[in-house]
Amino acid sequence: MYKSYHKKIVASTLLASVVFLGTACNASNDEKKSTIETKSTAQAQSAVATNTPMNTEGFTKREIDAVGPANALVSETVKKTYEHNGKMVIDGGVTYPIVNGKTGAYYVNETAHKTPFHNGKPATANEQKAWDIDVMPDGTGLPEGSGSVEEGDEVYEEKCASCHGDFGAGSGLYPKLTAGNAYEAQKTLMHQRINPDDDGPQRVFGSNWPYASTLWWYIKTGMPHQAPMSLTNDEVYALTAYILYINEIKIDGVLVDDEYVLDRAKFLKIVMPNVDGFEPKINGPKGADNAREYYNNPLNYGNGVRCMKDCFEGEPKVSRIIRPIADFTPALTAEKTMPAATAAAVPGQATYEASCAVCHATDSMGAPAVGDKAAWAAVLEKGIDKVYHNANNGINGMPPKGGAMDLTDAQMKEVVDYMVNASK
Amino acid sequence: MNKISKEELDVISEVVSEQESRRNFFKKTATYSMGALAAASVVAPVMLSANEHIKANAEDDPNIMEEKPWATKWGAGVDEGLYGMPSPYEHNVTRRITPILASGNTRASIAVTPIQDLSGIIVPNGLFFNRNHGGTPTINPNEHRLMIHGLVEKPIVLTMEQLKRYPSVSRIHFLECPANGGPEWRGPQFNSIQFAKGFMSCAEWTGVYLKDIIKDLGLKPEAQWMLAEGNDSSHMGRTIPVDKVLDDVMIVWGQNGEALRPEQGYPIRIVVPGWEANLCVKWLARLEFSAEPYYAKEETSKYTALKHTGKAIQHFYVNEVNSVITSPCPEKPWTDLKKGDMVEIEGLAWSGFGTITTVDVSFDGGKNWTEASLKGLVIEKAWTRFSIMHEYTGKPMLLSSRAADDAGHIQPSVKNERAAVGIEGVYHRNGIHTWEIDAKGVVTNVQILS
Repeated sequence: MYKSYHKKIVASTLLASVVFLGTACNASNDEKKSTIETKSTAQAQSAVATNTPMNTEGFTKREIDAVGPANALVSETVKKTYEHNGKMVIDGGVTYPIVNGKTGAYYVNETAHKTPFHNGKPATANEQKAWDIDVMPDGTGLPEGSGSVEEGDEVYEEKCASCHGDFGAGSGLYPKLTAGNAYEAQKTLMHQRINPDDDGPQRVFGSNWPYASTLWWYIKTGMPHQAPMSLTNDEVYALTAYILYINEIKIDGVLVDDEYVLDRAKFLKIVMPNVDGFEPKINGPKGADNAREYYNNPLNYGNGVRCMKDCFEGEPKVSRIIRPIADFTPALTAEKTMPAATAAAVPGQATYEASCAVCHATDSMGAPAVGDKAAWAAVLEKGIDKVYHNANNGINGMPPKGGAMDLTDAQMKEVVDYMVNASK
Repeated sequence: MNKISKEELDVISEVVSEQESRRNFFKKTATYSMGALAAASVVAPVMLSANEHIKANAEDDPNIMEEKPWATKWGAGVDEGLYGMPSPYEHNVTRRITPILASGNTRASIAVTPIQDLSGIIVPNGLFFNRNHGGTPTINPNEHRLMIHGLVEKPIVLTMEQLKRYPSVSRIHFLECPANGGPEWRGPQFNSIQFAKGFMSCAEWTGVYLKDIIKDLGLKPEAQWMLAEGNDSSHMGRTIPVDKVLDDVMIVWGQNGEALRPEQGYPIRIVVPGWEANLCVKWLARLEFSAEPYYAKEETSKYTALKHTGKAIQHFYVNEVNSVITSPCPEKPWTDLKKGDMVEIEGLAWSGFGTITTVDVSFDGGKNWTEASLKGLVIEKAWTRFSIMHEYTGKPMLLSSRAADDAGHIQPSVKNERAAVGIEGVYHRNGIHTWEIDAKGVVTNVQILS
């Protein structure tokens, strides 16, 4: 069974590779990129080394000279440093120290802010344990446990596939969990969709995320989306194993295949393909200082110049809307009118909208779409009682009560009737 | 309070009894005259009016010459709508949604603000943009707690009442989704200012400086980062540097004078002034200090900006200096103007780095620029209004705005921004925005690549 899954993924990976080879990356940087330390930034950043590589392609000398803290309107009331430690700001902005009882435009009661309060009660060890749900890259917060790819596949089919699609391929606008082989997909992060039909960068877990700890934390505390905090630790290990499998991740040189069993020790050895794909570097004791250095150089993320006359040659080059998006609810209008009277609520409609529409509004997830006469005629072939039964007990990809276990049988009957009537 | 003298009390009593007898009189009168009132309605629109003797001419505005029903009938009592709502005629001034901005369903999606319809710098609470990751919870404030722990000497838990006993501060700040304008990296897509720029709002926030609480707890020197986490169903967390926490980060419960709306994080959210609104975690329940960053789920492929180098900017804190002309815009065109009319061009500028210092406007797609006037309050990390007068010529034009701030940042051209980060960034797009206005005054969203 798993072999066939694997073939499917390999096929999609091959396709992705072909596309990748056939797509020219943006050639405007790379070799020509140089590290420029401008006079103006160097002066003002005396406390900060300016060794961050910058992309200066496309900038004029004037633009490069114009950026940075040198141009800040620093005064007694506007600073580039923090009051609490005298360090340069971390974000490239300014701070407004309290001067003569004011910060910026605001008056301050300085005595109030100097007063100790000691409100609240000590957080007990148990309380902290109960709420400390995060999982960090070094394994802090990751409990012991284990799960296999095979178990993960079962949980996935039952609780995840209805939104994330078969093998994590995504469905509708629900996120993809894989773009095939993570090591190959990671290379697509260089892609720029310059032409409308270009293939873009694949930003999924396998190809993009720096740490697997985020995945474990996310699944444990945020999934399934309609019922978070409902999975056991072993189920989370199993789902993590399955998602590593469909991304073809290797742990310590070993491919996570269909027989892989993941546990805490193995999990902590995962090195994601794109672990070095992010800037600034924020880990370790210098992490915050690295961010400080990065953001005080606006060429890292773009800056303008205050040119006033003849700022470019010739006529302006205009880019107009090619693929308009205008599917707005409610439709755009500036009219001042009385609203149309709203129709009285139909029994079951509110329940449908709250609990069922996620899957049944369209057929993108395989569920019969409300309003689709043919689909519902097929559903009704075995009689309405069978439909009530299936709604309560689950069918195909649909879990019992669609996962909305708080609904009573009466509510389920009402909502089925609503969906059937709306599809006649 | 002042005591009421016996004499005054007698006067009040007389007034009350007089009112009661009048009320009885009106009750009786009302019963007798019901039939008469009904008859009057039937014979409308002919009504008795002060103008009955004036014969309306063709050039007279019938809205002036004819009495309106609201001017001749009772309005609603003060007991109706004890929590007030906008006029029903304003129902089109509303947040809006589009499916492309959802991650599958409306629980993980955004409803955007109609900035074309707003004035000043304060967004009414019902129109404040709303981005959720697991739906809007209905939290019982009596059962809600804030825990502060990790690298502090004294980890604590606060009830909402205890939190509100710290000295309060009120600050006007914009909150902006870092994906504001993000769907348009590769070119314009929305012919609407609401969708092109409405992933933001501005409000007066009331709460406490987090540093005022921290000073009681003994922050350990190795603490570099803080996790802020909500306890809605998404349990969303984000990492914030301690340097910012000790500068101006607030925990807020008030928005424009009333409690936070549920969709804004009731009972409390964190506000990180000028930085990504995604960092301003709603339904805030836990703050933990650490030596290392957390790498939360919105610090991955989401909320990082992929550059053309293949590297992504992570911890991209500030919503950079930005501006947009709000009048005219696609929703508020110049189709009613005649050649020679004077018209005010108005817009919004904002910067998470600091305070807006200048805004320039270009009528020729950014080739030449004129400095506009700032108007109203100019406050750090808040919306700032700008304005420039224009004599309408009826000729097509490309209308752009460019803001600068006191931290030395200037809004980049689209070309400059693309040079720095490419076109796949998704987040933090602040390139100069341009409207194309045709000879009829119709306004369209374009980008200038020069």
